[in-house]
Amino acid sequence: MKTSEIKSILKELTSTPALSGHESALHSTLNHLWSPYLDEVSISRVGSFQALRRGTSTQPCPELLVTAHMDSIGLMVSAIQDGFLRFTEIGGIDPRLLPGQMVTVHGKRDIPALIVQPPSFLLPVEFQNGIVTLHSLWGDCGLPPEKVNQQVAIGDLVSFDQPFLEFENDMVCSPSLDNRASLAALTYCIYELVNRQPAWDSWFVASVQEEETQAGALTSTFQILPKLAIVVDVTFANSPGTPSHKTFPLGDCIALGWGPTVHPYLYKTFQELADQLEIPYKIESFSRRSGTDADSLQLVAHGIPTMVVSIPLRYMHSAVEVVSIKDIQRAGRLIAEFIAGLEIDYLEKIKWDETN
Amino acid sequence: MKELIKTLVETNSPSGYENSIRQVIRHNIEPYVDEIKVDALGNLLCVRHKEGALKIMISAHMDEIGLMATHVDQNGFVRFIPLGGVYPHHCIGGRVRFLNGVSGVIGVERTTTPQEIPSLDKMFIDVGAANAQTAQIKIGDVAAFDRPFLDLGKRWVSKAMDDRIGVAVLIETLKQLQNSVFEIYAVFSVQEEVGVRGATTAAFGVAPDLGLALDVTATGDTPKGIKMEVELGKGPAIKIRDSGMLADPRIIHWMIQTAEQASIPYQREILEFGGTDGRAMQLSRSGVPAGVLSIPCRYVHAPSEMVDSEDVENAILLLSELLNNPPKLEFLA
Repeated sequence: MKTSEIKSILKELTSTPALSGHESALHSTLNHLWSPYLDEVSISRVGSFQALRRGTSTQPCPELLVTAHMDSIGLMVSAIQDGFLRFTEIGGIDPRLLPGQMVTVHGKRDIPALIVQPPSFLLPVEFQNGIVTLHSLWGDCGLPPEKVNQQVAIGDLVSFDQPFLEFENDMVCSPSLDNRASLAALTYCIYELVNRQPAWDSWFVASVQEEETQAGALTSTFQILPKLAIVVDVTFANSPGTPSHKTFPLGDCIALGWGPTVHPYLYKTFQELADQLEIPYKIESFSRRSGTDADSLQLVAHGIPTMVVSIPLRYMHSAVEVVSIKDIQRAGRLIAEFIAGLEIDYLEKIKWDETN
Repeated sequence: MKELIKTLVETNSPSGYENSIRQVIRHNIEPYVDEIKVDALGNLLCVRHKEGALKIMISAHMDEIGLMATHVDQNGFVRFIPLGGVYPHHCIGGRVRFLNGVSGVIGVERTTTPQEIPSLDKMFIDVGAANAQTAQIKIGDVAAFDRPFLDLGKRWVSKAMDDRIGVAVLIETLKQLQNSVFEIYAVFSVQEEVGVRGATTAAFGVAPDLGLALDVTATGDTPKGIKMEVELGKGPAIKIRDSGMLADPRIIHWMIQTAEQASIPYQREILEFGGTDGRAMQLSRSGVPAGVLSIPCRYVHAPSEMVDSEDVENAILLLSELLNNPPKLEFLA
């Protein structure tokens, strides 16, 4: 798939805000992108999008889960005072990047608004220097108080209003690239598999609420009870001043997760496959948690051998996240090749005693 | 109902030690349900059957925060750890009662400045004993805060409104409710205060079609209090989010529509900390559409938690209406 095609898929995927807990607006986009190439589509009881590509095996077909969360971070109206809005966060938000942001308030209708902070001498003393917390920022809709009260209610969602920016290379900037970049990689993978004949059944799940409770991954995994799972998410890319041991070079590689969350044999398979395909990767070590859906779904029911594949992303949890299309291609291709090559007896090879 | 509330809040049952309150609830709810079960963790599951109907789990936790003895010194002073979210600044001078009947007061080591709020490990319970032998406390003994129910007229105060007021609303609703569109699983859950544990196993066992928790929520209506748009006396609160869950938008919509159609006052709740049994239900099995009906409560987790009687009455009204109005569970694009 060409870079321009992936860019346009990513643009379509990021054009719908779909904040955590309110992802159903993205169902039709995913249906349009995925369902022509898959055998079965369903919506889980909490709103995750679940699509099945049937395997060729005539024996009882083992099931693989490939999941990326579809929710994104944002804000929620927590109070209305004299026509101005106060906010709480959905998912973790970096407050340093909020003042001056243009947003859309999803009230009775969509209303454009600005996030503003009062002049520093009007702020509480502790906030006059340094970072102003979310509690001291306001939303200004430019409307008289009675109009705001009519149109906006506590609990209404607020999403970033930033255009999809295509840089003059293969990089793009947009809100919600965490984790629509991974959904683009899943889309790439699904398209790559069109002319392949994988033995296993593959479930592609766009999970809900990762940024808050990982509710989607937890519940779809319980429903599907896959034998293996691959979680695709974003990780921290380098930018000026970031230490190289904590970040991954943007556009140069993907990250393969390693640590207690990841099954060592699955990791080994991915590593060998990436070497063979000459897909550049770096190892991302997790000490306790991976900070992805994998943390929840690994522990569902009898336990799920899990792999984490990550796409480097700059300015995570801001309105201006940046990814490289190349990394999306790499992740999509690696997973597609993994699925295509998955032998029907793969599970028999996962033996703890023989893995190092 | 005030008598029921008084009985419920004056029964001591901290997390993990809910035997006494389970007996009180069982006795009070028996006439209004078809079947009562106790599961492996001690949750009290009360069923009102209805063949073919949607199964709703309504959960009100019956445990309360408390303390557990960790050490008794030779002079009879008892060191303790918290069960659930016990704040040090609410403890000093507090009175507690152990489940074996022994009472005590909470004392504190000398602090360096009067402004300092000492941590719980600088505190001890003085049971009035001269030595370890007469203290009658063993390591692991559990105590609850000891305060009588206080009736301030329109407003009521207790150390265990969280969540005996939810328990009372559930009992009272089932008492008044003749019919429902649902098969009702009224669950009085254990161990909510230590991480919504009871509701986790109860929800797995019940496998409901939808879930509703009844719990208290904080308010922002006290002098220089937290920034929160919920007040006492303005109606029960419909949870939109807390730090444990994003309530299901379909359930929020159902609750708001029902309240508006029945002209019951309600408030839209955003709680920036805390969680409820609603989270456990939402995350159960393949997922459950879940929400929370909250009773506004001042001074949550202090020994004097205050609710408004009208909010309580309106919570019962709203719950009764909800149980007669089926929700729409399809996703809206």
